Amino acid sequence: MNIEITDVTRRFGRTKAVAGVSMEAGSGVFGLLGPNGAGKTSLLRMMATVIPPTSGTLRLLGRDPGGYGPRKEIRRRLGYLPQNLGYYPGFTVVEFVEYFALLKEMPAARVPAAVAAAVERVGLGSKAKAKLRTLSGGMLRRAGIAQAIVNEPELLLLDEPTAGLDPEQRVTFRELMRDFGQRSTVIVSTHLVEDVGAACSQVALMDQGKIVFYGTPDELTARGEGTSAAGDAPLERGYSAVLAAARSVTAARA
Amino acid sequence: MDNDELIAAVAGGDDTALRELFSRHAPWLAARLRAVLPAADVEDVLQETFLAAWRGAARYRMEGAGGWLWGIARRQAALWLRRRGHAELLLPALVAADGRRPADPAEAALSRAELADAVKALGPEGGPQHETWRLMYVEDKTVAEVAELMGVPEGTVKSRAHRVRRLMRAALRRHEPAGDGGGR
Amino acid sequence: MTGGDEMTGGREDLAEPGPGPRDVDLSRVWLGVAAEVWRRRPGPLERLAGWLLRSPGLARALVTTPSLLLGWIIATVIVLGAGILATLGTGTPFVALVAPAVAAAGIAYAYGPGIDPAWELSCSMAVSDRMVLLTRALAVFGLNAALGLAASAATGTAASVTFGWLVPMTAVCALALAAATVARSANVGVAAGIAGWAITVLSGQVAAGRLTAAVTDSALILPYLAFAAICGVITWYASRIRRGTP
Repeated sequence: MNIEITDVTRRFGRTKAVAGVSMEAGSGVFGLLGPNGAGKTSLLRMMATVIPPTSGTLRLLGRDPGGYGPRKEIRRRLGYLPQNLGYYPGFTVVEFVEYFALLKEMPAARVPAAVAAAVERVGLGSKAKAKLRTLSGGMLRRAGIAQAIVNEPELLLLDEPTAGLDPEQRVTFRELMRDFGQRSTVIVSTHLVEDVGAACSQVALMDQGKIVFYGTPDELTARGEGTSAAGDAPLERGYSAVLAAARSVTAARA
Repeated sequence: MDNDELIAAVAGGDDTALRELFSRHAPWLAARLRAVLPAADVEDVLQETFLAAWRGAARYRMEGAGGWLWGIARRQAALWLRRRGHAELLLPALVAADGRRPADPAEAALSRAELADAVKALGPEGGPQHETWRLMYVEDKTVAEVAELMGVPEGTVKSRAHRVRRLMRAALRRHEPAGDGGGR
Repeated sequence: MTGGDEMTGGREDLAEPGPGPRDVDLSRVWLGVAAEVWRRRPGPLERLAGWLLRSPGLARALVTTPSLLLGWIIATVIVLGAGILATLGTGTPFVALVAPAVAAAGIAYAYGPGIDPAWELSCSMAVSDRMVLLTRALAVFGLNAALGLAASAATGTAASVTFGWLVPMTAVCALALAAATVARSANVGVAAGIAGWAITVLSGQVAAGRLTAAVTDSALILPYLAFAAICGVITWYASRIRRGTP
């Protein structure tokens, strides 16, 4: 198991962004769905060791990120793409990817080959020495994906990775995810339901800080059958159905 | 961009031009090298070839991209073979129609590949040209001996030999082309 | 990921480069070429810093500090502003003691969550963001001190800020970095830096009877520089031991 989360919460002031989440994940591609404000980003940030949990236990790659040494070890094997990744305009694509490869403490001798592989993998080979300020939004996102995968991470966390990618690029991206899912844990947080259906073996649906569904995309689709839930595609209907059910439960309790 | 412009761009440090040059020329260079070397060695030699092209693009003198690249590939392959100690296993130089004599056995191996290609241009084995070539140039027989063995007049042997030389010269010249190599 | 991009007529995707021999992996060959062609060769300063800190990542962060231009400008302005305040010498040690905190806060802000576009990502890196900030502080002060030394030849006001503030603060940052490396904690480094500065200011008061002596006395330059050099050696030595253990 690369991720073992038990009853984790995260508070910001008085708000509970994550209100008691438990999950386990081994290798494979896992989708994290949910509306804005559901707590997906906070959960992902905790898995990326950017913020600690307020309570609960978190084990990543078999280690406790609370300690300095284990946290460093986790981070060497981690790939993270935040939702709002800025870039250094004067850097070239290669410099950008290499910068984070070095900060992940990859052995310096392996860095050039790893950077070249990552840049070609995301299809930016013809823009390798172009400055980031000359790139389109989709290309910048792909540069972000490149830095996330450069160290062949065992734990790959992607927050809205397909923002700005055109449909053909999203297909290639899903192939990349499936590739990595063979030997690593890939968590993709997105509000694009169709991305999830195509690539993920398991899906978690979050709402208001809790996981309200955890299962396969087919099971999520099944939840939407026979209901009048909104959505153009079966998976979307399942999504809406689960959300509606979860909210009516909360309303009933209140 | 045509090949000359690409190489000029590479000389100016444009890595995307190198990428384009690679996608155009690596396949046929790989095929040529594969005739002489095992696949893993082809990969290494090809890598060294394009790195040498990257560093040496400024020395390109418009002699034709295909020929230039193949020249680099041959040198890299020869270096590779020498470093790996295979040079002594290779057969010595063979005659090339335009009188070129390769300098070392490693290059000779590559000449063999080109020669084999050129011999194919003589038609099927057992056919008149191929047989004439085999008897006269491989087995080193005189015109009289060949005429007797093939049961044809000496004049016929001479004219067949003339055609053989012409065909092979044309075929070998294709390998060191004035324009682009590899037919692209 | 092809399509949707302009440029070279569709030959971007090297997955199908044309009819090569089936057992020769041309993509792998290209990656070997690209790795060499695209590689960045670090300059001498970066190599020295990498060897000293035993961390190529930290060295790269150090060297890119001025090129992250907006952060550099903001940090420099705040540092110089704090320096001018400190050298004015209002008669209490308060300003001199607080000025480094102002400077540090300024640097942290300039290269931190406010300005650094990749801050969130930096927080997930093996080379911790606090170590990077500490290194950047040293870069900001060190470079400004060097510039200040050059400017001091020209004007006297530059000299007072340089010798009274920039050079001592460079020494303090070097101390902080050394302590952080030894203790493997950026927090320890910061505490050591603060303590070192406080001790210097207050003992300066005792020694010379003027509260801001530690700040404005240019005779202390050589001791400061020597101190910074010693901290550099400590950092190097501590990194060496640390890397030896798994």
